[in-house]
Amino acid sequence: MSTKEQNERIELLQGTLDLLILRTLRLRPAHGHAVAKAIEFNSDDVLQVEQGSLYPALHRLIKRGWISVEVGTSENNRRAKFYSLTATGRRQLAVETSKWERLAEAIGRILRPPAHEGKS
Amino acid sequence: MSRRKRMLEELDQDIRDHIDIETQDNIGRGMSPEEARYAALRKLGNVTRVTEETRAVWSFIWIEQLFQDASCGVRALRKNPGFAIVVVLTLALGIGANTAIFSVVHGVVLAPLPYSEPNRLVMVWESRPHVKTLSTSYPDFMDWQRNARSFEQMAALTSRNYDLTSPGTPQHLDGMEISSGFFSTLGVNLAMGHDFSPSEDMPHGASAVVISDRLWRNRFASSPQALGKSIRLDGAECTIIGVLPPGFRFLVDADVYTSLAQGEPLFYDDRTIHAIVGIARLKPGVSIGQAAGEMSAVQENLDRLYPAVDRNLGTNIVPLKQEIVGDVGGTLLLLLGAVGIVLLIACANVANLLLVRSAARRREFAIRSALGASRARMVRQLLTESVLLAMTGGILGLIVAKLGVRLMFAEFPQSLPRADSIDVNLTVLFFAFGISLVVGIAFGLAPALKSSRADVQGSLKSGDRGSTRAHPRGQSALVMIQMALTLALLVGAGLLLRTIGDLRKVNPGFNTQHVITFKVGLSPSLTQSASSIRIAYQQLLDRIRQIPGVETADFTNIVPLSEEDNGGPFWVGPQESTSMQDAPHALYFETGPDYLQTMEIPLLRGRFFTPADTPDSEPVVVINSVLAHTYFRDRDPVGQTITVAHWHTARVIGVVGSVRHWGLGDPGTYNPSQIYISFYQLSDQWIPAFARALSVAVRTPLDVATIMPAVRNVVYGTGKDQPVYDVRTMQQIVSESMSSQRLPMVLLAVFATLALMLASIGIYGVISYSVTQRVQEIGVRMALGAEKGQIFQMVIGQGLRMAVVGLTIGAAAALILTRLLVSFSHLLYGVGPRDPVTFASVSLVLTGAAVLACYIPARRASRVDPMVALRDE
Repeated sequence: MSTKEQNERIELLQGTLDLLILRTLRLRPAHGHAVAKAIEFNSDDVLQVEQGSLYPALHRLIKRGWISVEVGTSENNRRAKFYSLTATGRRQLAVETSKWERLAEAIGRILRPPAHEGKS
Repeated sequence: MSRRKRMLEELDQDIRDHIDIETQDNIGRGMSPEEARYAALRKLGNVTRVTEETRAVWSFIWIEQLFQDASCGVRALRKNPGFAIVVVLTLALGIGANTAIFSVVHGVVLAPLPYSEPNRLVMVWESRPHVKTLSTSYPDFMDWQRNARSFEQMAALTSRNYDLTSPGTPQHLDGMEISSGFFSTLGVNLAMGHDFSPSEDMPHGASAVVISDRLWRNRFASSPQALGKSIRLDGAECTIIGVLPPGFRFLVDADVYTSLAQGEPLFYDDRTIHAIVGIARLKPGVSIGQAAGEMSAVQENLDRLYPAVDRNLGTNIVPLKQEIVGDVGGTLLLLLGAVGIVLLIACANVANLLLVRSAARRREFAIRSALGASRARMVRQLLTESVLLAMTGGILGLIVAKLGVRLMFAEFPQSLPRADSIDVNLTVLFFAFGISLVVGIAFGLAPALKSSRADVQGSLKSGDRGSTRAHPRGQSALVMIQMALTLALLVGAGLLLRTIGDLRKVNPGFNTQHVITFKVGLSPSLTQSASSIRIAYQQLLDRIRQIPGVETADFTNIVPLSEEDNGGPFWVGPQESTSMQDAPHALYFETGPDYLQTMEIPLLRGRFFTPADTPDSEPVVVINSVLAHTYFRDRDPVGQTITVAHWHTARVIGVVGSVRHWGLGDPGTYNPSQIYISFYQLSDQWIPAFARALSVAVRTPLDVATIMPAVRNVVYGTGKDQPVYDVRTMQQIVSESMSSQRLPMVLLAVFATLALMLASIGIYGVISYSVTQRVQEIGVRMALGAEKGQIFQMVIGQGLRMAVVGLTIGAAAALILTRLLVSFSHLLYGVGPRDPVTFASVSLVLTGAAVLACYIPARRASRVDPMVALRDE
């Protein structure tokens, strides 16, 4: 059942989906499905985005002006919407990335304290 | 907005494309097309939710949904108007009653006084042992004013009646004598003109008057030319020097303000005469305690300077608001609690109705849930519906409140202080709005949570009408609570009803039947000197006594039960050297010779006054039985002497029964001694002051409307400029003296009736619903041989069980409530807070109501045709 599957996934932290979308779009514009696939592929399928939640996130980023959207043609010649990073989005990606790294580092320090501290 | 529209328009297409691509991918991985599509859909999640969340990015989604929910709610309610009407009316009554009482509480207790920085305003009283609030003497006040440093400003006042005889028709006016600085102490600016100047604020200075906006409007058509004009008050010409702003009011609805210094010289000069009240504005940062400390030092100094008159006098500083609101605050809070209970009962009824309805709507919510509505979304939908109902009820409730307050004032015009500031204003609107919102959520939440937890499969299966088991346990719990709360209210109302009944049985010491009292403003031409006043009253009374239908008539300076006060010290025998404050005090009645006969006060020994008691004959007094018993013990008081302060050592000529002057329930602790003096024997200097206060009492079997025209005729016959006013029957005065009990009694009775009605509807609703649910069961029982009577009893029994549980809980709650009633008010008289008669009778009433409410459904149950019921299966 789908509910069970959802529970076993690593759930994305609030806001991290935005970061992943920005990161995905840094290289080239992509349509919605491609973004989802890229996130799954690049995380070796560990992060499984509930694809539906992609769309509110994309709209949120458009509204903030971090990504823009234009109509193009997909690989199989279908009309599709392509999302691309704006200049603001590019700056935001840098900010968000460094924020995330600091956060991950901090949490890592807490979870795995240096060995000598553990002995004292 | 257009960008949002564009973005959202393509959303559906985007999602379709997404699914297509995913499906293609899945097919590429080797799934069958059908399988591939399902996998794609599953991976995407709930499309409706995705769409909603995306829309939420672009909009104030909750507002949008609120409108959706609201319009959906309106549609749902219109489908079932009977339900909506019952709910809205129930809530309108509940919210309306609460809003009405709150508007009274707000106006009387919560709203700040209409003066600038009112929290710094205080009343300054004198006090003596056992009497906490005593008027002060003007000389004492002047010393306070000179010496006290805690106050920014101090002013003095005394109330006084005036007869306005020019310009226009003669009219009696309420007014005040004030010291200069009165208005600035209150922080009130005159609308026109100026306060008393020093020359106008001294004895024999220029006569000046400040008038109310009302008088200015009525007599001077709001003309600015009124300033400097003169009006004749009590025969003296006074120049108008100022006009007050509209709505200004201090303690009474006064129309004229004159200088205290130019008023009664006796009040002004004599340190032994306590006739004025001080008000003051505390300096910023000075507390009442600090001011009180300083004032007692000031007063102690006066004690040393004037031991004969001021010994043992203290001061008492009371915040102005407390002074004005008095102990009404407690009663009002009690009523607010009671009316809150009514609202709870109303909510319980509505919650019950909603529970029944939600059971009927289970299928609807199962479908919604199947279509992807989240639980929170459904709860919100239901809450919106109930808040919608509550708001509609609230709007109607405002109308109920407005009418209710008006009705209450019509019924009890004098029983609330600050009545002028009671209004359905913005704060009250907020209250009504807030209470509606809270109520809507309160009664809607439980049913909403319940409905939204619908078991989708069960509800959709087998064409279930969704009306299997409602929530019988929740419902009967609500009914029991209703019963309990209703009992508590009924007990409260019952106790007050018994109190009034007991008060009515109290013998006040005179016959309250067939007595009419009124006041007369004697023409200034007749009151030039003390002797002419005596003659004028004698002649006036002679004329009144000759009116057909008048049995006897005479006057008194204070009417029993009317709250008029005239206390003073006395000594048995010759005056002793003790301080006036240490001397015993009595209540002094200055009356004419026929007063005793008119009031039918029993004469126990000796005689009452006769026309032969004149200023030239020996001064005589009549005392009441309490004074006789307390101060003469075994001796016969008749023939002994009593010294009356400011008057003479007088011969006691008679003993009469005691009169309950301070209220029917008055235990007689305050001034139980009463002394009667013949008005005609008063010293010349006192005659004018007392003449102003005289009331005429007439004993007549006729009613007011019949006798008063003749009385007016007689009074006007003596002079064209003599207003007759304050016409009241003794019965009215008795009723008004009980207003502190009558107001809460009537309101509690109204609330209790309302509660009883609602609770009856509640129990009826639950029982009749349960009968509907159990038709088949009943059919089976009857098929198996149950008698109609047994079925009938079973249903009644079900209702009774709920009632009895409710009664038990209610009795416990009522015991707590009544203890409260006793602890913060003197509302009860002659009946204990656990009065078994009250408890028993209201329990009976409530049980009766419950049985009655169950009767119809019980009859319906007993008439179930087993054939029909079973065929229905």
